[in-house]
Amino acid sequence: MTLTRRHLGQLGLGAAAGLPLGLARPALAQNEPIRIGWLAAMTGPSSAPAVGFNRGVEFAAAALNAEGGVKGRKIDIVTRDTQGDPTKCVNATQEMISQVKTHAVWGPTNSGESLAVTAIMARAKMPNIHPCVVDSLIDEKRYPNAFRLAPSNTQWDDAVRGYCLNVLKAKKVAVIGDTTGYGVTAAKASAAGFRKDGAEVVYEANIDSTQPDMTPDMLRARNAGAEAIVVWSVSTGMDARLFNTRASMGWDVPFVGHPSMASGEIAGLLTKPENWKKVYAIGYRSCSYDGQGKLPAHSQELVDRLKGKVSLDDTLLWWVAGGYDAVQLVAEAVKATGSSASADIIGHWNSLKQYPGYFGTYTYSPTEHNGYPTEDVVMSEASSARNGTFALAPGYG
Amino acid sequence: MLASIIATGLAMGAVYALIGITYNTMFATSRVMSFTAGQLGMLGGVLGSLFMLRWGLPLVVALPLTLLAAALVGVVTEFVAVRPVLKSLEQHLYVLTTLAVALIIQQITAIEWGTEPAPFPRLLELGEGVWHEKYWLPVLACAVTIGGLEYLYRRTLLGHAFIAVAEDNYAARALGLPERNLRIGSYALAGAIGALAGFSGGQLLLAFFANGPLLNFYGFIPVALGGLGNNRGAVIGGLALGLFQQAANFTVGGIFSSVAVFTLFIIVLLAAPQGLFGAAASRRV
Repeated sequence: MTLTRRHLGQLGLGAAAGLPLGLARPALAQNEPIRIGWLAAMTGPSSAPAVGFNRGVEFAAAALNAEGGVKGRKIDIVTRDTQGDPTKCVNATQEMISQVKTHAVWGPTNSGESLAVTAIMARAKMPNIHPCVVDSLIDEKRYPNAFRLAPSNTQWDDAVRGYCLNVLKAKKVAVIGDTTGYGVTAAKASAAGFRKDGAEVVYEANIDSTQPDMTPDMLRARNAGAEAIVVWSVSTGMDARLFNTRASMGWDVPFVGHPSMASGEIAGLLTKPENWKKVYAIGYRSCSYDGQGKLPAHSQELVDRLKGKVSLDDTLLWWVAGGYDAVQLVAEAVKATGSSASADIIGHWNSLKQYPGYFGTYTYSPTEHNGYPTEDVVMSEASSARNGTFALAPGYG
Repeated sequence: MLASIIATGLAMGAVYALIGITYNTMFATSRVMSFTAGQLGMLGGVLGSLFMLRWGLPLVVALPLTLLAAALVGVVTEFVAVRPVLKSLEQHLYVLTTLAVALIIQQITAIEWGTEPAPFPRLLELGEGVWHEKYWLPVLACAVTIGGLEYLYRRTLLGHAFIAVAEDNYAARALGLPERNLRIGSYALAGAIGALAGFSGGQLLLAFFANGPLLNFYGFIPVALGGLGNNRGAVIGGLALGLFQQAANFTVGGIFSSVAVFTLFIIVLLAAPQGLFGAAASRRV
């Protein structure tokens, strides 16, 4: 292309017009709020986690803003209710990237939605932190912007297997999942893990969670000699039916597995409250109380701070603590780097070592974005809920 | 094991049979297979739990209220999803309209009631083990329903009018029968029967918004097995389905039991396309 005087004139005008904007941008960036996108399934199916997370998010933002923000910049939480619908979540993500121009995104809170938006956020290099468990959501090469705040499914699986083999000393296990995609995948991976570790999977099945009678499967598991039953399902109805069937069979085999087994809804579905005993659901050390009824000191500090401001009696502490930590992780990144540019936030997260959050102590690196420590994934007494926390299952010192 | 197969199999079979009768009752006066049948069953469980556990109403009030509310849903279905498409039955638009209404019912229930299964109360506090009321209440409800329908259709003028419309609605109209009102009545009756299925089987199925599609599928099988419009065939088909399904749960288990059920269903339909108790359609030439 040949440069003419007209082109030079246009370039000069463009440069003159752009100069003030170029100068103003750093000043604007230093004062503008830190916008954190929050993809929350606040209504619709599976809204309970987002409602809990939201309490932590709002509490953290209010606390930071009350202290004057981060380097003088207020925290602005931009919440979009995705209703648990991947399509709505994609729309909200696009809005956050192209219109709201958030500096980071927290969420979504379920894997179905996250699978739909992870690649979109990666293309936009949007710093993203989420609590979803599906392993494939974290891929440091394909999604260098995505970080996991909670354990992955593999970490859950490891914790359940470790408890069965090392604490319960069960060498023969039955692995049961529901017929959803999650139930089938999780049960298959769990059974493979047990076999790899030398245990015998004496019964493996996927049950339709609406099946009214669980006797056939429980009988098969008992006849096969199962010493523990591992359950991978989010269906509280299926969980309760399994517990009731165990009681009617007069069998005392322990159940170990998915956190839904500790869900409050189960209480109303049991024929007797004692049917919920010897049920150990995945929990977290930071949100579990010991034999004396005490939480870890750091977690107690959060509970004391929340007292009178945030209700914990109808939610789980880990949801509230996780929401709090997510906001803090973004704020800490801006504070440490003095920048809210996506590369700086991602770079800071990649350098985090033993960051002491309330939910967990997070460590990330450029090659490991699963930051939650596996040793902090523990088993809880499913029926011991108290203000969003649970008693540690037997066997933890 | 045998006792469990019989108890659970008959109970679930009775629920499926009642849903089958719901399909038949709606079909008889409109020639429409309304896919809201399973949702009416689901509503029976959810409304029963709502009235008895949340509102604390006694059984004698909760049951009629549940049946009344579901009857109303049946009438709304007739107005919204059936009447507008009756003129073009050959285009089978009712599949879309009734599925749409079914979906609306399910979504509203999910939003208002919640997506987790909720408990359903013990109704009579009778029986334990395989004699627990949750096993025989659906069978009793099924027996009462089929007895009541037989009485209605054979012994009452209203029943005769229903049959007349079912046989030939043009001729019935020519005779001065209020065909439209009778159709509305049959949808109200179907709503009540569907809700009775969910109410009597509530202790087995729980009050769960996702029971609708399950009942839609399994409730359709007795209709196909027993012959469209044949209530006695639906009862026999439903009970056979329940027993076979529970036996399959014990023998092959899990996902494979559904495969076994549908395999048998297809084999039966290949052998007898009109259903085991249905007559082949005749056409005057």
